[in-house]
Amino acid sequence: MQTLTDLDLPHLPVETPAFAENPLRYLAEARAKHPWIASSSIGYLVHDYGAIRELLGQDDKLRPAYDGIVEQLGAHGTPWGRFTEEQMISLPVEQHRLLRDTFAAKFTPRYANQMRPMMQGTIRRLLDEWAPKGRFDFEEFASYFPISNMFTLVGAPREEIPSIRASFETLGLAFSMDKRRMPAIHEAFGRVEALVQRLIAERRAHPESGNRDDLLHLLIQTSDEGGIAERQLADLLIFLFVAGYDTSKNVLTHTMYLLLQRPEIYERCGQDHAYCGKVLEEAIRYYNPGQVPRFTSRDVAFRDVLIPRDTMLWFTLSISGRDPIAFPDPERFDPDRQIEPTRRHIAFSLGKHMCLGQFIARAQLQEALHQIPQRLRNPRLVGKFGWRPFPGIWGLHGLPIEFEPVEA
Amino acid sequence: MPKIKYIEPNGVEHVVELQPGQSVMQGAVWNGIPGIVAECGGSCACGTCRVYVDESWREKTGQASDMEDATMEIREDSRPGKRLSCQLTVTAELDGLVVRIPESQW
Repeated sequence: MQTLTDLDLPHLPVETPAFAENPLRYLAEARAKHPWIASSSIGYLVHDYGAIRELLGQDDKLRPAYDGIVEQLGAHGTPWGRFTEEQMISLPVEQHRLLRDTFAAKFTPRYANQMRPMMQGTIRRLLDEWAPKGRFDFEEFASYFPISNMFTLVGAPREEIPSIRASFETLGLAFSMDKRRMPAIHEAFGRVEALVQRLIAERRAHPESGNRDDLLHLLIQTSDEGGIAERQLADLLIFLFVAGYDTSKNVLTHTMYLLLQRPEIYERCGQDHAYCGKVLEEAIRYYNPGQVPRFTSRDVAFRDVLIPRDTMLWFTLSISGRDPIAFPDPERFDPDRQIEPTRRHIAFSLGKHMCLGQFIARAQLQEALHQIPQRLRNPRLVGKFGWRPFPGIWGLHGLPIEFEPVEA
Repeated sequence: MPKIKYIEPNGVEHVVELQPGQSVMQGAVWNGIPGIVAECGGSCACGTCRVYVDESWREKTGQASDMEDATMEIREDSRPGKRLSCQLTVTAELDGLVVRIPESQW
């Protein structure tokens, strides 16, 4: 058995714009040299679907590597660094379980389904405001949708969103692993932290101002009952806002990009709510924003390679759905594709850290995919767009479109 | 050790011996029994390890918790006896338990 550090691995330039624009081209070359792992400037990348599936669910061998990110970015001792190291997913097992179990009740499929009327109202209001323009940056439009739902779920006033959105945008780029962004990230974190502390203080001062069933009420109640420290309460809200901002936004934007090229699917989405669910599942196989960082928590032997303890691994969920070994004809976008149980997309990760928001994300994206084609007729791309950095939360940067508005 | 019988939708049966304390989900995954996906690894968070407990065993396995019921709502399902197998903990009392695996977890 060879040790990972002794292997002659392909090197992937993940930090470059060219990689962000077309990672699959680089992956094909890398795979020819080694079938499942590559090196990069930010750590090793496990990119093979089968390898990710086998390794990522093994919670006894891996731990979240957010401390590794903070170290690489030289952010130890900063407020953002502290938050990132301590956020829910990085907590010790028992605390993580307590927090996760406490809040998991608000993230079940049942609760997500109960939230659908709220989500339908959110996207309707946004379309009422944006559709008459006839032309806009779809990414900017999309950016208001998941965060509006998240604010409502938590019980935070939506009026705060326009002034804080730019800070969420900046924080969403934190894991792009570019030190040059750090001053802006620290500033944005300060603004979001101040907002969250104010929201908590206002709710404590005026409990009657909120809904007794919303997440902020639940959070404060749990915190007051002694389970959770004030610091963790604020951290959790920040985590929910940041996690809920540009993951779903990027998926919605990229799905729109795919559907601009497939007008018949776009049109059918406007007529067929259930079909939107299938389109969404295929869309997040085809693309999703996530790369998941983990450290090995012990020596791990995998496919005749010894991965030493404390090795940082990035699992590229984002492109795993287009692995040609796992998915026949992976470039074909087919919402009716048969889903094999062991070959389903892993956009929401695997194991005990699987995305808590997966059902909220699915529900809100399905509702958006159903209403958007009803209001934005015949959309077409009318300008250039870019790509966000591949490390962290990957996705399109901008998507200028033109369309014929339809009144509600 | 307690024996658990898993029946695939096509009728194929698998009998597995499990240690008390293990979950019915773990018994399936560790023994390569198809159809129980268990994406979240047993956190009652993904709803992809659904089984149907045979009627004669439902009293012994008990009721699903609220959380488990809410998680099973990833799809409509009126078939009786549905449970998430990660929430079924093997005990000596469950020796001989029979569970049926659905056509699809989605």
